[in-house]
Amino acid sequence: MKAFFSDYLKTIEPGLKKLVSILSEQYDYVSILSTDSKGLRVMITRHARSVGSETMTTERGTVVRVAKNGLYSEYAFNDFDAEHPEATAERLKEQLDAQLALLASLNTPVYETGVLDDEPCELFVEKETGELPEDCDVKALVERLTAISEKGMTLSEYMIDCMAVAQSTHISKLFLTKNRHMAQSYVYSEGFIQAVVNREGSTRAGRASLSGLAGPEIFAGLSDKTEEAVEQALVLLDADRIEPGEYEIICTPEVSGLIAHEAFGHGVEMDMFVKERALGKEYIGKRVGSDLVTMHEGALCAENVTSYAFDDEGVPAGDVTEIDHGILKTGICDALSAKRLGTRPTGNGKRENYEHKVYTRMTNTMFDSGTDTAEDMIASVKYGWLLEGMQSGMEDPKHWGIQCIIDHAREIRDGKLTGRVVAPVIMTGYVPDLLGNVTMVSKDREVFGCGGCGKGHKEWVKVADGGPYLKTKGWLG
Amino acid sequence: MTDRIIELLKHSGADAWEVTSLKEEGWEFYFIRHDLDQNRAKKTEHIHVTVYKKNEDGSAMGSASMEFAPTESEENVRRSIDDLIYRASLVQSRSYELNPKKEAEAGTAVVRPVAETAKAFLETLNSVHETDTEDLNSYEIFTSVVERRYVNSAGADLTEQYPKSMTEVVVNARSEGHEIELYRLYHSGTCDRNGLRQEIEDTLQFGKDRLRAESTPQMTNASVIFSTDAVLPIYRYFLNNMSSRFVFRRMNDWQIGTPIADGIEGDTITLRALRTLENSSANHAYDSEGAPVRDLTILENSVPKAYWGDRQFCSYLGLEDTFRVTNWEVLPGKTPAAEIRTPGTLEVVEFSDFQADPVTGDLFGEIRLAYLYDENGRRPVSGGSVSGNLKELMKHMTLSAETKQYDSARVPAVTRIDGATVTGK
Repeated sequence: MKAFFSDYLKTIEPGLKKLVSILSEQYDYVSILSTDSKGLRVMITRHARSVGSETMTTERGTVVRVAKNGLYSEYAFNDFDAEHPEATAERLKEQLDAQLALLASLNTPVYETGVLDDEPCELFVEKETGELPEDCDVKALVERLTAISEKGMTLSEYMIDCMAVAQSTHISKLFLTKNRHMAQSYVYSEGFIQAVVNREGSTRAGRASLSGLAGPEIFAGLSDKTEEAVEQALVLLDADRIEPGEYEIICTPEVSGLIAHEAFGHGVEMDMFVKERALGKEYIGKRVGSDLVTMHEGALCAENVTSYAFDDEGVPAGDVTEIDHGILKTGICDALSAKRLGTRPTGNGKRENYEHKVYTRMTNTMFDSGTDTAEDMIASVKYGWLLEGMQSGMEDPKHWGIQCIIDHAREIRDGKLTGRVVAPVIMTGYVPDLLGNVTMVSKDREVFGCGGCGKGHKEWVKVADGGPYLKTKGWLG
Repeated sequence: MTDRIIELLKHSGADAWEVTSLKEEGWEFYFIRHDLDQNRAKKTEHIHVTVYKKNEDGSAMGSASMEFAPTESEENVRRSIDDLIYRASLVQSRSYELNPKKEAEAGTAVVRPVAETAKAFLETLNSVHETDTEDLNSYEIFTSVVERRYVNSAGADLTEQYPKSMTEVVVNARSEGHEIELYRLYHSGTCDRNGLRQEIEDTLQFGKDRLRAESTPQMTNASVIFSTDAVLPIYRYFLNNMSSRFVFRRMNDWQIGTPIADGIEGDTITLRALRTLENSSANHAYDSEGAPVRDLTILENSVPKAYWGDRQFCSYLGLEDTFRVTNWEVLPGKTPAAEIRTPGTLEVVEFSDFQADPVTGDLFGEIRLAYLYDENGRRPVSGGSVSGNLKELMKHMTLSAETKQYDSARVPAVTRIDGATVTGK
């Protein structure tokens, strides 16, 4: 079925068009992004259960972007009266003029930017989905998650809780300018199981997840993940601490995705180029990885939680080859940054929601597959570690430093897993070294979309990342 | 719209309900160097509704929640409330009662016009002392006034106004063609001009030192000093583990009156909830569930004194007179900060993202800038990471006599933890 476009947005569209028309008389550029995204979230734990309609990306509201004399300004609101758009126009002007008066009183200079392109574009996309979160059989979903939670509790005497969470979001967005009319709707869903164990005062948690550009129907696959989550938690009870040092490592696809995201996601977000905050700017056309490293980024690269048809600035989704056989080709870019840098936007202008500013943000960030198998890669390691599961990551684009918190690592000696596990593991290092040492890449690859991504320590958006197994060297601690 | 929703809820068949309306008016300014990149304004209202439905004998109760847009039609609101009641009936847990209307002292939040606060931030960022080699790369200013109204079916109808601000600052330092950056994110009620300027100027000095930093050495059994907001995840570990949610779910075995660890050799932890902290963005008379906020000792000398938290889990634990912590403090120790920085200690002033897992106690962070102390003073180092587990490390902490406030938390200005692992080169 189609993920239908919001009736509410259809209703207010004439008023929004009128608002564009009114403001266009006073400003050099006017665009409107209006959103109406609904969701479903069910959480079952041993002691608490809840159903909600809010997820990370549910929202209903509007943001207007205007430009005058090289300055871009925005006004966000969620009380639009489609019968009286002139009232909103007046309020916008009153607020922005008051800000400009304050800035003028402080002699604030403006970072002048040209007028954004407004080539005509008509787009109406309703993506396919199996189900809508609004129509989900909540009773059946509650029963499914309850069964998962209860089953998880039976899998070990050390289990103290088993949380099962399913959430699904139906996105609808409308983008308007004088010449553009773009509308899209799609559904994405994500679910996870968190198993918590305690043995003699030591508490550990294991997690298994799934995600996709799909409706609540994907939660049928969550039940199969119960054992995986419990096993992950139990393994950690016997985990040692690793001896800090540089090792040969095999990254599982989830860890490969984390590296992709932290290394050449943030490192080539081109709004950082505008601020001279990213080393990547100086490395375009240069080697940043081994010949085996090819990486793509874009909403079209994979079908997952952020595979939209156009971004929050009305730029169609893209598929950018960031690294081609080890050579850095280009970055990703929002529309304003592209204007400032004299390049073209790549469809990566995203907002946390309508209340937030646009930044250059990632969508699907993926390493390409290679020709090896995971088994051969493990067999090739004299002494090293298989890295599994990710907790978090952080980049330093100015220096290409990277921090990845890995859930745990399994010891490899003479090409075989020994059974020894260490946790948690911090992988740090210099990105070109990490990618330059990639010597084997597996055929298969996976995409993971259960996480969120911040810019600095704020501006949270949905992203997906992944790749194949990678063999390289890394500093672990 | 909020009043209309309340009326519909009163006649809906829900056994209990809560409505929280958050009206926010905010201004934002984004700068590249000191040039205005973009200005933004917003005016929004978010209406969150939770509906509760009990089973036949009232022993079990479920909840379902939803945000209603102020533009939602009455027909949709009515239909959605019916849906919520049905959904709540599907997820039953042990029953509990919502907070009835309770008297509390008036709130202490000081609200100023958004334009006035914005001006203070703009002037403060313009007044930072920069040099040819240390300056601001970019900054973002967010300031708003929020009006929160909480209404529930037990008779509470509480409205408070409070300010909320955030400043993101990226600083650069350069030397001989090499440039580095440091990142800071400050939260507050309104603008503390002197405090913010001092923080940023200290960060500029850190940037200068990072330029000449050597590699962090490998250190086992390291004494690591925390003197920035990176210490907050460490103290939040104690706060979270004293929450009714953690205690009821048996995420730890902490019990009232029993020390949280045996063999504590260093300073103990005394942690208190506070009703008021100057310029905090969390100076509320009531918490978000309508419970009056008050000063409360939670941990005293590392011995649990009182749990805090959600109405649901506090009720399960038989605690009636408690609340969600808004502001909190960790009482200082007796050692002057200067005496904590002894030869051999490593003071980390910039992590990429320091974390302490509230469940496992694992802590970890990559070092972007630290100072290694020796007999001759201190030298900057960079790279590597700090790791360890708080369940063991909490036995070896030294808390400074001085304190420092980070928005809604006041903690020892300098904290030393002995026994951590430092991965260096």
